[in-house]
Formats: sequence, structure tokens, C-alpha cells
Amino acid sequence: MSEPTTTPPLSAEHVRTELKRFLEERTKTDWAVDTDLFATGGVSSLFAMELVVHVEKTFGIAVEGPDLRIDNFRTVDAMTALVLRLAEAGSGE
Amino acid sequence: MSDELAALIGAEIADRAAGWDLAGAIPPEVLRGLGAKGALCAEVPAEYGGRGLTGRANGELTSHAGALCSSLRSVMTSQGMAAWTIQRFGTRRQRSAELTRLTSGALAAVAFSEPQAGSDLSAIATTITDDGDEVVLNGHKVWSTAAAYADVVVVFGRYQDGAAAVVVPTDTPGVTVSPVAQPLGCRAAGHADVVLDGVRLPADRVLSGTSQSLGLLTTLALTYGRLSVAWGCVGIIRGCLRAAAAHARRREQFGKPLAEHQLVARHLSELLVAEQTATRVCEHASDRWDSGSPEVSGEAVLAKHVAAGRAAHAAATAVQVLASAGSVDGEVVARAYRDAKLMQIIEGSDEICQLILAERALEGVA
Ligand SMILES: Cc1cc2nc3c(=O)[nH]c(=O)nc-3n(C[C@H](O)[C@H](O)[C@H](O)COP(=O)(O)OP(=O)(O)OC[C@H]3O[C@@H](n4cnc5c(N)ncnc54)[C@H](O)[C@@H]3O)c2cc1C
Repeated sequence: MSEPTTTPPLSAEHVRTELKRFLEERTKTDWAVDTDLFATGGVSSLFAMELVVHVEKTFGIAVEGPDLRIDNFRTVDAMTALVLRLAEAGSGE
Repeated sequence: MSDELAALIGAEIADRAAGWDLAGAIPPEVLRGLGAKGALCAEVPAEYGGRGLTGRANGELTSHAGALCSSLRSVMTSQGMAAWTIQRFGTRRQRSAELTRLTSGALAAVAFSEPQAGSDLSAIATTITDDGDEVVLNGHKVWSTAAAYADVVVVFGRYQDGAAAVVVPTDTPGVTVSPVAQPLGCRAAGHADVVLDGVRLPADRVLSGTSQSLGLLTTLALTYGRLSVAWGCVGIIRGCLRAAAAHARRREQFGKPLAEHQLVARHLSELLVAEQTATRVCEHASDRWDSGSPEVSGEAVLAKHVAAGRAAHAAATAVQVLASAGSVDGEVVARAYRDAKLMQIIEGSDEICQLILAERALEGVA
């Protein structure tokens, strides 16, 4: 299990690699960074929540309100963008 | 747990649970009083007037209430689930306005279920439609726990290209709340159907203000609900264990206490096993919740499924041990017998939990 990483700067590469690792561990599938995880045959709602909680814990961010849009979790790239944006904004919280 | 809140809940219920059960209602002032102390949704952070309990401490508090009165515990589950949904999906402004209300005595219910959407929540047909800076809701919700008491109902419906939850004040024109007549169990929990007929509200009552995935929305809300129900079941089992053990010690047949008859002793051992098993699985799930573990959604399903099954079995066992003494309506084990059965139905029935757990069983293999 990875430790929460709060030390900036968080690189896109690091976030992407960590997300791909988690996805592969949990779904036994190597997901391309732009593949829709929730398309038919993809992952369940229960797993969507797992992703949300994992992203929060791993990167020390809170995903709340409008940011909880499923589009932000649809692909590895979308999640990476979300994490980088919230990590940046988070320093102001 | 919070000893102060536990004592408060204990003092409010005192010996009144049986009467509430028979009357099918809890006096609203009792609920408002507990709500104003933050006891009905005790995990809400202090910045919103809440008690900021951990999931584990709130779980223990929930089981404490559940051992005394499953109807009051059900109201806590609804209030907590409403608060959690607002906390997760609300904007900053919505969180401070709505959560503060829920810790000041206002009561809340949560409405997913509809006549054609029970286990299958993807069939939700309630619509939330934009109209300028307002939204209009139309739909029919059923079996919403605590809705008969509620000032607001968190309504889940279809919105734009996805779904949303809207905080609907029950005094809005077009809202009709009709209590479910004589439910099998949790009889004083205020279950009601809620009809929404052209209900017009400011658009800022839509949580987060944007459309969300229905699956994620319901899963997040239900994960809180499942943990709460699971701990409520721990309470039911504890109530049954206490009642059965006390009775088996006191009551004599064939010249000795019931507890000294081995077949009765086995019932007692099964009650103890149920209590320990359900407690451990709930503690495990709540610890996952508190540590922010991604496994929490699955662990909550497991805890709810195990605890509800154990509670139903424990309640039947306790009625068996008390026999005629437990066969009187209102009596603790009689209530448990009716209440526990319903816990195998709500927030994901036994079968739905099994389907989810089976998926997890398959996950481990490529
Ligand atoms: C006491 C109580 C409190 C409640 N509180 C609330 C509340 O606060 N808010 C709210 O929105 N709703 C509430 N409900 C409604 C509750 O969520 C539903 O009753 C529940 O989801 C089951 O739906 P249903 O009753 O329509 O049964 P159905 O969905 O019609 O199911 C009937 C039976 O078929 C089984 N079944 C269905 N689909 C499958 C499948 N795919 N595979 C195998 N078996 C299946 C079910 O497990 C069940 O045994 C409450 C209900 C009760 C009894």
C-alpha cells in the first residue's frame, strides 16, 4: 500500500503510474491511459467508489461536490488531471 | 463511542421503545431534541455543528441505539445517510447550510426506492428538470424511512445526462408524504411514500449543481447506510443476547434454570457467536472507513450482509429461549424478530449483497 503523498510537486507521470498500478492490481487488466473504465464490460459502481477513495487517500486530496463527476474518473488521464488540479488547489485549503 | 451521546440516547428511550413500537410513532420532540444535540448524525464535522465522531465511534453509538430501539436507530441511519450525501456531493455552500440544519434539530430522509425501482436502482424514473434558475421534480418514492417526520428528503432522480440528489423541503408545494400503514418492523421509524408532483425548487438545491453518475451517487450514499444498518444489527443481537441470557438464568423448568439445559445453553452460545461475529465484521469495515481504504464499499456490503443474517437468526433464537414470555408484541425480542427480518431486505437485500460479494470472489482470478 502506498503512503499518502503530500509533498509537491506531484508529477503527472507519477500519478499516472500509480493509478495504472492500482487498476491493474484490482482488475487484473492493463488499462490504456485513455480507455473508458466504465464502458460496457468495464468496472462497477462499487469499484468507482473504490477509485474515488483510493485517489483521495493516495494523493492526500478530497474529491467532493462537483469534482465527484464520473467523467473525472473515466480514464487514467482524466483522473490524473483531477489529482493534479486538486493537489494544486489543496495547498490553498 | 461518545459516552455523553450514548447516555443521552439511553435516557430518551428509557423504557419507551415498546410503547413507540405499539403506537407506530416516536414523539417528534424526542427526535428533534436528539437531532439538535447532533446525536442523529454524529459523524458530521464540528464545523457544521456536528460531533465529528469517527465511523467506528458512530458505529458503536448506532449499535447502542439499535439494542434499545430499532425505530430510533433507523431514523439515525436516514439522518446520517442524508448528511453524508450532502457532505460528499454538496458544494461548500450547500454543506454549510444543509449540514448545519441537520445538526440543529431538522430531520432528514433519503429516497431512492420507487414502485419500479427496488433492488434495481438503475430503473429510477423520478425526473429533475432544469427550468431557468429552478428545477422541477416529478416522481414517486416509496418506503422512505423517517420521511413521515422529515423536514427535508434527499431525493435521487434523473438529471441532465445522468443523475442527481436534491434536498427537497417537505413543505414545498407538490410534495405529498403518505406514511406506510403498519410496517412489519421498525414500526415507529416513520416510513412513508413521497409523491413529487411538479415540485419547483431553486436550482441550488441540486447537490453539487451538476449531473453525476447514478451508480456512484447511490453507492456512496449506501455505503454509509450499510455500515449504519450493520451496526444497528449488532445492537439487535446484543439486545437479544441480554434478554435471552437473563431469562435463561431466571426461569426454571424441570427443577433447574433453563440455562442448565444443554439445548438452551446452545442457543445462548449461538447468540454470543452472533454478537462477536457481527461486531468484528463491523469493526473491520468501520476501520476501513476511518482509514480511507478503497475497500470500504465492499467491506460495508459484507458487514451489512453478515450482521443482518446474524441478527435475524439471533432474534429467532431469542424468541425461542423466551418462548411465551417473548411472544408479546412490543417486547424486546418480539420487536427484534420483526425488525431484524427487514434488515435482510434494505440497503441491498441478502441476494443483492450476495451478487456483489460473488463479483468480488471472481475478481481475484483473471
Ligand atoms: C423497513 C424498510 C425501510 C426502507 N427504507 C428505505 C429508505 O429509507 N429509502 C429508500 O429509498 N428505500 C427504502 N426502503 C426500500 C428498500 O430499499 C427496498 O425494499 C429494497 O431495495 C428491495 O426492493 P423491493 O422491496 O422492491 O424488492 P425487489 O427488488 O422487488 O426484490 C424482491 C426479491 O427479489 C430479490 N431480487 C431482486 N433482484 C434480484 C436479482 N437480480 N437476483 C437475485 N434476487 C433478486 C430480492 O433480493 C428480494 O428478495 C426500505 C424498505 C424497508 C422494508
